[in-house]
Amino acid sequence: MHLSIKNLYKTFDDFVALDRITLDVGPRDFVCLLGPSGCGKTTLLRIIAGLLPFDGGMLTLGEKDLATLPAKERGFGIVFQSYSLFPNMTVAENVGYGLRVRKEPAARIAARVAELLELIKLPHLAERYPHQLSGGQQQRVAIARALAVDPSLLLLDEPLSALDARVRVAMRSEIRQVQRRLGIPTIMVTHDQEEALTLADKVVCMNHGRIEQIGTPQEIYARPRTRFVADFVGISNLLPADWVRDVLPELAGQCPEGDTKARELCLRPEDIKVTADGAGEGRVTEVNFLGNLTRLNVQWKGRELVAEYNGFGAPEVGESVSLSVTPSAGAWVRA
Amino acid sequence: MSTAMAPAAGFAGKSGHKPKMASADRLLLAVSLVVPVLGLSLFFLYPLGLVAWRSLVGLDGSIGLGNYASVLASPGIRTATINSLWISALTTAVCVVLGFILAYALQRSSISGKGLVRASLALPLLAPSLVQALGLIFLLGRNGVVSQWTGWTIDIYGPVGLLIANVLYGLPQAVLIIEASLRHSDARYYDAAEVMGASHWQQFRDITLPNAKFGMLSAGFVVFTVTITDFGNAAVIGGDYRVLATEIYRQVVGQMNFGMGAVVGILLLIPTLVAVYIQRVASQRQFGGGSESAIPVQPSWLPARDLPLGMAVFAISLCMIVVVATVVLASFMFLWPYRMEFTLRNYVITLSGGYTPLWTSLLISLMAAGFGVVLLFLMAFAQKRLPPALARLLYFGAILPVGVPGLVLGLAYVLAFNVSDSVLGLLYGTTVIIALCNFYHYHSQGFLTMVTGMRSVPPALEESVTCLGGGLRCVLRDAILPFLTATTVSVFFFLFMRSMVTLSAVIFLFTPQVMPASVTVMRLDEAGFTLQAAAFSTCIMITVALAMLLMRVAMTYLGRKKAGA
Ligand SMILES: Nc1ncnc2c1ncn2[C@@H]1O[C@H](COP(=O)(O)OP(=O)(O)OP(=O)(O)O)[C@@H](O)[C@H]1O
Ligand SMILES: [Mg+2]
Repeated sequence: MHLSIKNLYKTFDDFVALDRITLDVGPRDFVCLLGPSGCGKTTLLRIIAGLLPFDGGMLTLGEKDLATLPAKERGFGIVFQSYSLFPNMTVAENVGYGLRVRKEPAARIAARVAELLELIKLPHLAERYPHQLSGGQQQRVAIARALAVDPSLLLLDEPLSALDARVRVAMRSEIRQVQRRLGIPTIMVTHDQEEALTLADKVVCMNHGRIEQIGTPQEIYARPRTRFVADFVGISNLLPADWVRDVLPELAGQCPEGDTKARELCLRPEDIKVTADGAGEGRVTEVNFLGNLTRLNVQWKGRELVAEYNGFGAPEVGESVSLSVTPSAGAWVRA
Repeated sequence: MSTAMAPAAGFAGKSGHKPKMASADRLLLAVSLVVPVLGLSLFFLYPLGLVAWRSLVGLDGSIGLGNYASVLASPGIRTATINSLWISALTTAVCVVLGFILAYALQRSSISGKGLVRASLALPLLAPSLVQALGLIFLLGRNGVVSQWTGWTIDIYGPVGLLIANVLYGLPQAVLIIEASLRHSDARYYDAAEVMGASHWQQFRDITLPNAKFGMLSAGFVVFTVTITDFGNAAVIGGDYRVLATEIYRQVVGQMNFGMGAVVGILLLIPTLVAVYIQRVASQRQFGGGSESAIPVQPSWLPARDLPLGMAVFAISLCMIVVVATVVLASFMFLWPYRMEFTLRNYVITLSGGYTPLWTSLLISLMAAGFGVVLLFLMAFAQKRLPPALARLLYFGAILPVGVPGLVLGLAYVLAFNVSDSVLGLLYGTTVIIALCNFYHYHSQGFLTMVTGMRSVPPALEESVTCLGGGLRCVLRDAILPFLTATTVSVFFFLFMRSMVTLSAVIFLFTPQVMPASVTVMRLDEAGFTLQAAAFSTCIMITVALAMLLMRVAMTYLGRKKAGA
């Protein structure tokens, strides 16, 4: 089914938490809400779940209007960042909870619980209590519990942010696999861009309660439309239009006509080719070795640019280099 | 960038889209709200309103501020007011300091004999408040053991005796509240501080104290109001030192002056309302409550801290024990302190009715605790789900009773229910009305405990239930109750035990047929049968101690169940 959000508007007293959010989530989509802290991601997720009312706009699932449908009748699965398992129930009882609430027959519940514990690879822990599990295991149980009721939409609010990095990466791919296998439309909140880029079919970049850009991870990275997105996702050189016109006229051609003051060129470090050249105009000011590549700060024509150098033999601090930019590279963003 | 544009017309309406609540949920919520509120209105607000009204009706039936004028003009009442404020403030200061020391020692140190300390703190909760006074008189009074053996004349009647008795009475309540606030802090704060290199003293100053601040304020608030409104101690040991509580009794029972009594009752509300306000302001500055996955702080052993702490704590405990033990001991003596021979003759109660009052009190207390715990639970549950403004109003209403002295409540009940021209009059002279009076007398403390308990329920858990398709009933059963069973049990026993021993309100409501135990003690003491009063007190203490034991067993059982398989 298709979740559709139109012009959703939400205030807390006088504070505008969500400003005209419009978003579609397709039947098998994995959507990530990405944005800095306080930008309204959780608020949006809770509105979708039915845990918060909203002030205006539309929220529909397929033909169904969700605006007045209570959370418990939406049939969504939700997983919170912090452990929300029932402390007095075993893992198996936790997973089967939604089915018990729906008064499913015991045999069917048992079968479904076994199936889900298999899916999250924890069948041997069925009789444990939540406090006897690690953080990662608890989150997996929480996910299984959300999935048990065959939700029409899965909502995840930073489910991995309380876990350590390795577990996080491992669980990331598990979540993705499970989601692909079950084909459940999923919305996940995160402020970790790497998580969003690796997991999502569609990244929704938010700032100050507004959507800055919606796109595939590739689009978000390669064709950011606003300065905020360019800056928030990945590393970028943000160059004023006038400077580009003077220094890199071959890139200025793509600059849309009109108020060039409000435009900047986003140039990713990998678009700038660095060559050691004693007569070059650039001077290396900083070198960061990152293993497979080296990130360089180069002072060039009055600006400091970040560039990347692949392989060994990167220039050192103080060396002169010459820079060249792929002619079609970069994206013009709204300042 | 951050300037949010004015929303386009059409979807700016604050009318909003609120998910509808299922009718079963609405019904549950409505019942949870309406029943307790109705009870509170009928059995607290209405009688209290009558007191306010009667304070305006003069002896000659005229309406006006005449009563107030004559009260304010009376130097006796001015003195009583100053005395009351003074003694309550002192008691509060002492109780909060000692209370924190005791609570800290119990929660955070590794001193041994914590069980004994706890038991000694439970003692004053076992008996009517006048037992402290009785014990002090047996020890330090004109006919006490100390004067008898040393030949000194000590004047325990008056402010000093009252202060000691009040501290003994208020301290256990302070400890309970402060302990609760210490229990809820998270070990990870300390771990973090430890890692950052903070010394034990710095950790204490920067984590423990700020975290306990709310508890200490609450404790101070409770002790102050309990002291300023307590009647038993003031009546027995206050001597000529007049306080507001005894002043009311004098006006109403002594002079049948309901109007003047009502005025003093209204005046007694003022300091309490101020205290409530201060506490409210302070609680808003409280930082991070118990997080949903708080790791409890493990007590540690630091000799430099725990040895002096242990000594202080045991000295306090000893005082508590000695005072109550004296009463028990005296009840078995032929003629304290002149003829110290063992006898059971004091246990033959010469007042008519014998031990019937004990059973009456038992029945009353079970009723008060039974419907009290249900009403409070529902109220705390509903309060959490109301819009903020309404929730604040309900909260205010619910904690109002703590500011109403038992005497005023008793007077209010007489005005409201000792009537012949309404159905309400049917309740007068029954155990039910006394049970209701006792419940509403202790409504606030029970409510605050419930609300604190409710706060420990992780919001994410409730929301999980909702998203998994559970209604409000499921939220109650699966998310709230598991976190609240212990709280519920403790509120039940709190109401039961308070109801067993309370004196100040019921003193207006008893009849020869329905006579609570604490009134019997008072009457025995007044009639000069001091040792019989001690004997009857001992019986009350045994009953309440048994109830307490039962609570311990229940709590242990619940604790074991919660720990899981
Ligand atoms: N109940 C509330 N009352 C008032 N303001 C609120 C409320 N809940 C959230 N806000 C405000 O709305 C804004 C968005 O909050 P939200 O929790 O959605 O942020 P978020 O994007 O999830 O941030 P984070 O990444 O830190 O979780 C914040 O500025 C927050 O202060
Ligand atoms: Mg959030």
